Amino acid sequence: MLLKPILVGALLASTTIAPALAQADTDITVVLSEELDLVEPCMATRSNIGRVILQNISETLTELDVRGDKGLMPRLAESWEDKGDGTWQFKLREGVKFSDGTDFDANDVKHSFDRVFSDQITCESKRYFADTALTFNVVDDHTIDIKAEPAQPVLPLLMSLVTIVPSETPMEFVRDPIGTGPYKLTDWTAGQQIVLDRRDDYWGEQPEVTKATYVFRSEPAVRAAMVEAGEADIAPQITAEVATNPATDFSYLNSETVYLRIDNQDAPTNDIRVRKAMNAAIDREAFIGTVLPEGTELAVAMVPPTTLGWNAELSPLAYDPEQAKKWLEEAKADGVDTSLPIEIIARTENFPNVTEVAEALTQMLTDVGFNATLRMVEVAEHEQYYSRPYPESEGTRLVLAQHDNSRGDPVFSMFFKYDSQGTQSGVNDPKVDDLIARASAATGDERAALWSELFKYVHDDIVADVLLFHMVGLSRVSERLDFTPTIATNQQLQLSEIGFK
Amino acid sequence: MTKMIGQRAIASLLSLLGLMILVFFLSRLTGDPAVLFLPIDATEEMKQQFRALHGLDLPLIEQFARYVWDLLHFDFGESLRKARPAIDVVLEAYAWTLPLALITMGLVITTAIVLGSLAAFNVGGFFDRLVSIVSLVGASAPDFWIAIVAIVVFSIGLGWVPTSGVGTPLHWVLPIAVLFIRPFGLVVQVVRGSMLSALGAPYVKTARAKGVKNLPLIFVHTLRNGMLPVITVIGDQAAALLNGAVIVETIFGFPGVGKLMIDSILQRDFNVVLAAIMVTAVAIFIMNILIDLAYGLLDPRIRH
Repeated sequence: MLLKPILVGALLASTTIAPALAQADTDITVVLSEELDLVEPCMATRSNIGRVILQNISETLTELDVRGDKGLMPRLAESWEDKGDGTWQFKLREGVKFSDGTDFDANDVKHSFDRVFSDQITCESKRYFADTALTFNVVDDHTIDIKAEPAQPVLPLLMSLVTIVPSETPMEFVRDPIGTGPYKLTDWTAGQQIVLDRRDDYWGEQPEVTKATYVFRSEPAVRAAMVEAGEADIAPQITAEVATNPATDFSYLNSETVYLRIDNQDAPTNDIRVRKAMNAAIDREAFIGTVLPEGTELAVAMVPPTTLGWNAELSPLAYDPEQAKKWLEEAKADGVDTSLPIEIIARTENFPNVTEVAEALTQMLTDVGFNATLRMVEVAEHEQYYSRPYPESEGTRLVLAQHDNSRGDPVFSMFFKYDSQGTQSGVNDPKVDDLIARASAATGDERAALWSELFKYVHDDIVADVLLFHMVGLSRVSERLDFTPTIATNQQLQLSEIGFK
Repeated sequence: MTKMIGQRAIASLLSLLGLMILVFFLSRLTGDPAVLFLPIDATEEMKQQFRALHGLDLPLIEQFARYVWDLLHFDFGESLRKARPAIDVVLEAYAWTLPLALITMGLVITTAIVLGSLAAFNVGGFFDRLVSIVSLVGASAPDFWIAIVAIVVFSIGLGWVPTSGVGTPLHWVLPIAVLFIRPFGLVVQVVRGSMLSALGAPYVKTARAKGVKNLPLIFVHTLRNGMLPVITVIGDQAAALLNGAVIVETIFGFPGVGKLMIDSILQRDFNVVLAAIMVTAVAIFIMNILIDLAYGLLDPRIRH
């Protein structure tokens, strides 16, 4: 009598346990901090989407070697050539198939860009071509000419940001992305998991990972615990508090830069002595190893040190509260009202311990005589203060923000953050505008030199803002994997780079 | 009885309408979803395009008229973030929240009634002490702390249950256990207090004098009289669970409606916020009707 329910129960239990046992040694589980709203290739530059699909499901024509020094590498394009007059010719790889079995050719490239520029969907990557008009000329199946007006010297680099989809892809967000990458999407259960399976007909080298399951947990302690308990293999973005195991926990520069944006037109921050005083008031070293993880670096530019034109000669303004007070006194003597209220706007959950960092910054500014207060806001409100047009204030506002550039070139940062027309810029300086325009149009060594000059001018000569830290990311990786997270891990997580010990 | 339900349904519908109007306009005062959907360096043209695609560039009153018209056709609109019908997103989440709430509340009600009654019957005894401790923990220890400690002890230390997620029955153990503590602590105290006064009534003495044994005395004779205040508290606690258990969902990666609602509010995904609030409201209205019916069942005087 009793036996039957027990047997049925055992049977049911065994079916639920079975899938866990069936996992192969080369299957991995990645636990991400937030769920993906979309799995759309044209949104792959959004970091949480990119981590799953970029170069795993969908590939790009070119690929930037962020972790090494190989620069821009071929991916779906085998080579490219500047034909002059703003036109670049791309030779496409032959024998590449999409996961739906169709062949990859030049028309797919054209269609992928048509989607990006379509007014029926809002693709993220469109922003990289804001003032550039592109025309496509399909020369043959595996050759395409792309003409940019005005000429775009980093067009091949921009190609690393646009994923290629088949020409049949509709002009709406897809839920079953088709790509040329080594993996294909086999399951997406909203709220629970995304599963990628390795393709047998991938054009390139077969990666070792056969299957990747992505799950989502917003609590860092839980992500770390999952790797420890063997439920997951990679947990990006854990916090210093839980990263306590040197055998599994990696720390690396994550391409984020934290800074205080100063409005250089507002009183009293329109006076350079006031801006210098702000810089000298802050004891940057005191944050590291206390509220920010060990390994955090002091920032001297808006971009991480792996970026083109990095100026190694710059060093942060020394912490010197007495000097800060002197500068403030000088400014005051010249009629600058240094008592005007300065409101620091910081965003909750912007990075771990952001509240503690913001409170300490406020206190340090107050200590040298600034009338500083702190306001923590959520993301939507932060955006109102961060981007133009800036709301009026009695004194001025400093916006504590974090900027990510792992794209290798300062062009993705400097215009927005420093040009007089830049959306988040607090600077209005003709020399800055000129340098940005010239550097953006230049190539090769000249380009690097111009960016380098701009970094120096912004940091040393006009002291445009309070650059604070190049941030460190912490990830936990299972000991069975042969994988070291790097600066690239913030934007993408290429499964093909993961091996097994 | 049917008349009562009918009246309640009409009243509920009116409240639902008021709620919808309120949330529709309030949510649109909170900011522009285009700014949050698109990257920070998006051009103004991209933002315009996003607004136009989702009808956010229309006059507010026209947006509202369209929304109501669609709603009359049971169309709750598209999720701005997820590019799929908002109601699908919400119902999917509800399919997780509902069983979580029902199982937790079922356990809370049965254990609280049994243990609370036993505690009241023997004040200062074993059950009374046990119940006090759990109530104290429930009232004073924050959910997120209990949840993290539970993961450290039961998943990492003992390896009995998975840390988080869904999939097998074992995955449900920790979320339910953590959710259980607080409502249990509350309900059990109300049961205890209410049973204390019920057990002091003269009819209990009479029953004892007739030779009724302890257990039937508690659970057959007294319990029904002590239940009315308990039902009220149960209703409150169940409503809280139907709203989703944000903290437990966040920590255990449980795909319920609580976290969905918070995320949608932060991301200004208006249609999902509205759909989630309306579905929750309907669930709570239904529950309130059930509670009214329960009152009537327990106390015939309330039926009229």
